[in-house]
Amino acid sequence: MNIENLFLMRHELLLIAFAMVVLFLEVSWGTKSKTPIINISIILFGIITLIGFVPAETGSLFGGSFVLDNIRIMMKNVLNIGVFIILLQASYWLRTDDLKTRISEFVILMISTLIGMNFMISSGDFLMFYLGLELATIPIAALAAYDRLRNRSGEAGIKLILMSALSSGILLYGLSMIYGTTGSIYFDEVATRISGNGLQTMAFLFFFAGMGFKIAIVPFHLWTADVYEGAPVSVTSYLSVISKGAAIFIFTIVMFTVFKNLAAIWHNVLYASILLTITVGNLFALRQQNLKRFLAFSSISQAGFLLLGVIGGNQMGMASIVFYVLVYIFSNLAAFGVVGAISNITGKENIDDYNGLYHTNPKLSLVMLIGLFSLAGIPPVAGFFGKFFLFMAAAEKGLYILVLLAVINTIISLYYYLLVVRAMFLVKSDTAIPHFKNDTTTRISLLLCVAGIFVLGLASFFFEYIRELSFGM
Amino acid sequence: MKPAVSGIIGTLGMFTSFVLSLYTAFLYFTCDKVDGAYQKILAANTTWLHFTDKLHIDMGVLLDPISVMMLVVITTVSLMVHIYSNGYMKGERGFHRFYSFLSLFSFSMLGLVVATNIFQMYIFWELVGASSYLLISFYYEKPSAVAAGKKAFIVTRFADLGFLIGILLLSYTTETFDFITLTDVHGTAILQGSGIMFMGLSTMTWSLLFVFMGGMGKSAMFPLHIWLPDAMEGPTPVSALIHAATMVVAGVYLVARLFPVYAISAPQGLEFVAWVGGFTSLFAAVIACTQIDIKRILAFSTMSQIGYMMLALGVSGYGGEHGLGFMASMFHLFTHAMFKALLFLGAGALIHAVHSNNFTEMGGLRKYMPITHITFLVACLTIAGIPPFSGFFSKDEILVAAFEHNKILFAIEYIVAGLTAFYMFRLYYNVFWGKETHYHHTPHEAPMIMSVPLMILAFASVFAGFIPFSKLVTSDGIAFETHTEWMVAIPSVLIAVLGIGVATLFYKKETAMPQQMAARFGRFYVWASNKFYFDEIYLFVTKRIIFSYISRPIAWFDRHIVDGAMNGIAWVTNYASYSIRGLQSGQLQKYGFVFISGVLALVLVFIYLWTI
Amino acid sequence: MNILTLLIIIPVITVIAIMFSKDLKQARVVSAIGMGIQLGVAIFLMFSYLAARKAGDTTEMLFFQDVMWFKSLNIHYTIGVDGIAVAMILLTGIVMFAGIFASWNMEFLSREFFISLILLGTGVFGFFISLDLFTMFLFYEVAVIPMYLLIGIWGSGPKEYSAMKLTLMLMGASAFLLVGILGIYFNSAPQGGALTFNIIEIAKVQIPVEAQRLFFPLTFVGFGVLGALFPFHTWSPDGHASAPTAVSMLHAGVLMKLGGYGCFRVAMYLMPEAANEMAWIFIILTSISVVYGAFGAIVQKDLKYINAYSSVSHCGLVIFALLMMNKTSMDGAILQMISHGLMTALFFALIGMIYGRTHTRNINEMGGLMRVIPFLSVCYVIAGLASLGLPGLSGFVAEMTVFVGSFQHADTFHRVVTVIVCSSIVITAVYILRVVGKILLGPIIDEHHQHLTDATWTEKISTVTLILAIAAIGIAPLWLSNIISDSLTPIIDRLTLLGH
Repeated sequence: MNIENLFLMRHELLLIAFAMVVLFLEVSWGTKSKTPIINISIILFGIITLIGFVPAETGSLFGGSFVLDNIRIMMKNVLNIGVFIILLQASYWLRTDDLKTRISEFVILMISTLIGMNFMISSGDFLMFYLGLELATIPIAALAAYDRLRNRSGEAGIKLILMSALSSGILLYGLSMIYGTTGSIYFDEVATRISGNGLQTMAFLFFFAGMGFKIAIVPFHLWTADVYEGAPVSVTSYLSVISKGAAIFIFTIVMFTVFKNLAAIWHNVLYASILLTITVGNLFALRQQNLKRFLAFSSISQAGFLLLGVIGGNQMGMASIVFYVLVYIFSNLAAFGVVGAISNITGKENIDDYNGLYHTNPKLSLVMLIGLFSLAGIPPVAGFFGKFFLFMAAAEKGLYILVLLAVINTIISLYYYLLVVRAMFLVKSDTAIPHFKNDTTTRISLLLCVAGIFVLGLASFFFEYIRELSFGM
Repeated sequence: MKPAVSGIIGTLGMFTSFVLSLYTAFLYFTCDKVDGAYQKILAANTTWLHFTDKLHIDMGVLLDPISVMMLVVITTVSLMVHIYSNGYMKGERGFHRFYSFLSLFSFSMLGLVVATNIFQMYIFWELVGASSYLLISFYYEKPSAVAAGKKAFIVTRFADLGFLIGILLLSYTTETFDFITLTDVHGTAILQGSGIMFMGLSTMTWSLLFVFMGGMGKSAMFPLHIWLPDAMEGPTPVSALIHAATMVVAGVYLVARLFPVYAISAPQGLEFVAWVGGFTSLFAAVIACTQIDIKRILAFSTMSQIGYMMLALGVSGYGGEHGLGFMASMFHLFTHAMFKALLFLGAGALIHAVHSNNFTEMGGLRKYMPITHITFLVACLTIAGIPPFSGFFSKDEILVAAFEHNKILFAIEYIVAGLTAFYMFRLYYNVFWGKETHYHHTPHEAPMIMSVPLMILAFASVFAGFIPFSKLVTSDGIAFETHTEWMVAIPSVLIAVLGIGVATLFYKKETAMPQQMAARFGRFYVWASNKFYFDEIYLFVTKRIIFSYISRPIAWFDRHIVDGAMNGIAWVTNYASYSIRGLQSGQLQKYGFVFISGVLALVLVFIYLWTI
Repeated sequence: MNILTLLIIIPVITVIAIMFSKDLKQARVVSAIGMGIQLGVAIFLMFSYLAARKAGDTTEMLFFQDVMWFKSLNIHYTIGVDGIAVAMILLTGIVMFAGIFASWNMEFLSREFFISLILLGTGVFGFFISLDLFTMFLFYEVAVIPMYLLIGIWGSGPKEYSAMKLTLMLMGASAFLLVGILGIYFNSAPQGGALTFNIIEIAKVQIPVEAQRLFFPLTFVGFGVLGALFPFHTWSPDGHASAPTAVSMLHAGVLMKLGGYGCFRVAMYLMPEAANEMAWIFIILTSISVVYGAFGAIVQKDLKYINAYSSVSHCGLVIFALLMMNKTSMDGAILQMISHGLMTALFFALIGMIYGRTHTRNINEMGGLMRVIPFLSVCYVIAGLASLGLPGLSGFVAEMTVFVGSFQHADTFHRVVTVIVCSSIVITAVYILRVVGKILLGPIIDEHHQHLTDATWTEKISTVTLILAIAAIGIAPLWLSNIISDSLTPIIDRLTLLGH
């Protein structure tokens, strides 16, 4: 092993460096207003994101505990894009009076979780995996509690940390059993040594529960609603796209590689939990008034759709998952962006606050409309392609009944997405949110989202590229 | 455009086609026959719509004795009506509309008679019905007129459904729409579907019965007759043209057109035609004796006369001497067109003068309206069958044919002959003699433009009887000799005279006798004067059964059951989402509990219960 | 560029142009021009199609173009048309054109209205030109979704309920459709080889029969719902009643035809064995909806409801005829689609215009309109006569072709249901004449109706366009019916010879 091998870790290293820079800025800035920090970090992070796309060699480090291949690079880049947009959306909020002194704190925390996720994705053994997981989790709790002047934010933080402690415990227990039964923590060795006896099955189930917590699979999803609602909008969007995405990525990889031999079992487990997740998520979302809570539950059912790719267990499956997460980042952040922008200005977060929004803020409403349609999977926007490919992945396995039930669920989801559309476009209201102008960063972020939503689907390049990189069982 | 202009245009157009059709008739009947028979000439034929290789709707012109005769009849009467209407409709709103509809009707009717295939006939059949609808509800602001038009259209439409099904069945069995192929007595088509199919009747019989249903509708045969009396809501010239001379005989023409098929491969069908005709003629004649609205009397008399023609067809055989009934029917169709048009136009003139349809408000009009009086009298004598007027000859032939075929029908027709003479003269005397009701302005003779057509038609009704029909229009196109059967003719004339006598006794001077007679008949008279309550029956069926017992339930079912089911799904979903809200309590310990129990459940299920 | 692609590009350009227009005046002019050009292209397409056929080009699909889209999944942008598609495109062009003029005075959010309307149209055009199931499905949903906004924003009555119901039911149908399409895709290469969405390719192979048994019903119902197949038709009365004029026109006139079109182009063409096996079920359902819809229409009081139920009846006839599976009846089915599309569009246009004047659609509150607004009234009578199948208007041609074709069936069951279905012509006459008698004829019952103004020039354009089309088909049907029946040949062959 020599020094240039470290370039395999360039994502992580860059992020660490970035965090350092921000920290340095923070301390060296002195007493003047620190608002420029956010702009600087946005620019820096943008550069980092771009660098991530620079093609470079792949391989593994530390005797296989750190693995980097093209699909993993892709996954990391996807996450970077998401974080970049979130930073853009957060900047206005961070510059508000009671927060503007602590901007760098926010950035550093977010970056450190991102680092954790990158390690988690690149992990080649369960130790690295667990380190990454924890590194990704704990700062998020701090982020959730970031807006400490609001009780709900603190409550969110505490709930998150406690629940993740519980889930981590169970996950760790599962991992220990795996080690006990296979005598190894390296993915490839474990994969060969898993025979599918009861203990290993239980180990898998514990692992599944732990991951289910992060991905928010029913019945391990309960924390989401409260946390999403309590946490600041940017953090909520971060939770709902980035950490969910990272978890599903590594989950897919592990399922495809480590637990290959347990496929017969996890097929049924997933079958059940997909139906449960999609349906319960939808049923809860149906009755939400608070938009953040609403999006939280919708993101639960979205996670259920993502699992369709896992159960497919094929190259198409992984490809569609990565692609859908990418699409989902743009779509969901479009929605969250609008919600955030509005709650920043007016502090309103309920659906019926949006009545007649189109007549006062047509642009915002259109962005919201496009985002929601993409989430609902309406052509010609990207969400349609993403969902269609997920369904294809499952149908390729011949799971037509599952697909049918899932598709029918999309109708329910369409219903509640349309409720928001109805509020914005159909309902006339004299107390509609008055017209306001967004700052540049927010506009840029929303523009990015819309562009992404349209381009990703219609231009076949992205999916084709991802599909080439991805692999099946 | 000034109204007068449109009138002139219409009349001139009709005149041209009148001349043309006369010329056609002349050419056709003078062209040399093939072994003594007039041939069916396909003047023109082009595919209009293509179904299958065998079945395609053509549009064309088929010339044979009956179609040529119909051309003459239609154009003659239509021309008369066109001329007459210039006076009658003067100053009406929608004068243009009237003439355009009139021309539309004439077009459709001509298209109907020259049809080369049964589907072309059906097409124009429908068009005729539509234009009749438009003309009946010409005074569209009068609710009664609207209702009458609607009734006429729907009743005939119902009949046409039968016609359509008949066509489908016929074309399915014979694999052709074409009349020439169908009616070719040496061909194969005519023998198709002669096997027993259903309820002891052959496919062919069934299809022809269905087709005849269409005829019954158009020709107001019992029990589909109810629309005709109401149709009198239309302007009187329209009644003369459509509901006396031309459209209503379309049914007769239909049967005549398919006559060889009926006669050769569906004799039961023909029997049915005969009985329907016979019954209707009696039924209508009885009702006619009790009405007081002159147009309705004429309407019922039309029904009864058409009954005659149907009966004549029904009792006829195919070919030569046996085809007497066929010839008689066509003959009567011809003469009837003339004198019935005359009667209606006369009635029009009366209404024009008196502004009322009821003869109770007329009387002694002979002094004021000499021309109308004379022509009307001629018409009455003709329809009563008094020699040498044309009605005598045609009716006599029918009676002879009936006599040879079936004595009961023959008897019925004798009675009807008497009744006809009676009610016609009842009408005549009540209008032109009887006591003179005092008119708020003295009635005046109709203007020239109206009375000329009357005279022309009167002339026709007098002398039409001398046309040698048996030489021209016969079932197989071969001429044969007819001679007046005095054994039949003399009694029929006597009966007619008897009828006239009774009428004279009753109505020439005002007497109490009519009331006594009515009282004598009692209940029967009341029924008859109420047309045996058929309108009420129909009303019951449509309003009660169709609306209340079929449509409303269906509408309700659709709203509440089918749609309810759809809404039910939505409701269930909502309810489910409502019922599981408890899960999301916000209490951490509960979450933890659910989490753990979820894990345990997984373990339980997938390790112990669902072991692969 | 391929003329068919033009059919999608023109509307899109129009939409963009409308975005830049300032107010109603500009928006409507722009859309009128755009759709005028579109109609022109559609007519030109018809002529060039005829020319190509006359020149002896016998390939199944003309103006064929194939662009690879998602290589790894073998998803293409494949377009091409046969006579049927051309006819449907022409129909769409006409109805769109008329629809724009029918909504000339759409004051409220006019730009958005025209944009959504034309987007809907884009979906329809795209659907008819696609030969690739994926793009077909994509365009199908593109055509359905704008309905929500169109009804929800510009509708009347319980518009939000109706909009939501319509959208959800149609998208629910498309859920079945999606699974059906996926099923077809994964069975499209039974002998191995690349899976494909391409209809023409799939039509060359035989999908395993047991797979067909599973996916035929899904696909057929999926499309059937849009074709108002009993008992999934209930979106249509509410939807039509609440929709604004142009939307009702487009929806009943064109969108419902997507259902029938898909039924034979996808479901029956690709899965003939299952189609033959299961036809009887749907024949029963459709013959129910024919009679049932007609009876349902008799007692309605709202003009739009009457027309919606009659649409159920007429569209039922379409699918009924398709299932009879012989050339004549299917020919009739397509004719019926076109004829119904035109006349129902005319109906809804007139209803909208009458409503705009009388502010009521309740037939008991109107009367004697013939005297005050003769032009509209006469148009309404014409539409009515077309609807009850008067010869010389398109309805007669279509219905008779259907009846004769269906009756050619050898076995009694088919002939009996045909007779039952025939009876609808009487019921139709009843409700049509009922309405005409009530609202147009008779005395004027509402004093406010004394001084109504007759049609404006835009309204005249809108109605006359449709009437001309109806009469053209009604008087000279041969050319159209020939175009259609020629294009039906491959489908019929597959259905009768069962692909092998």
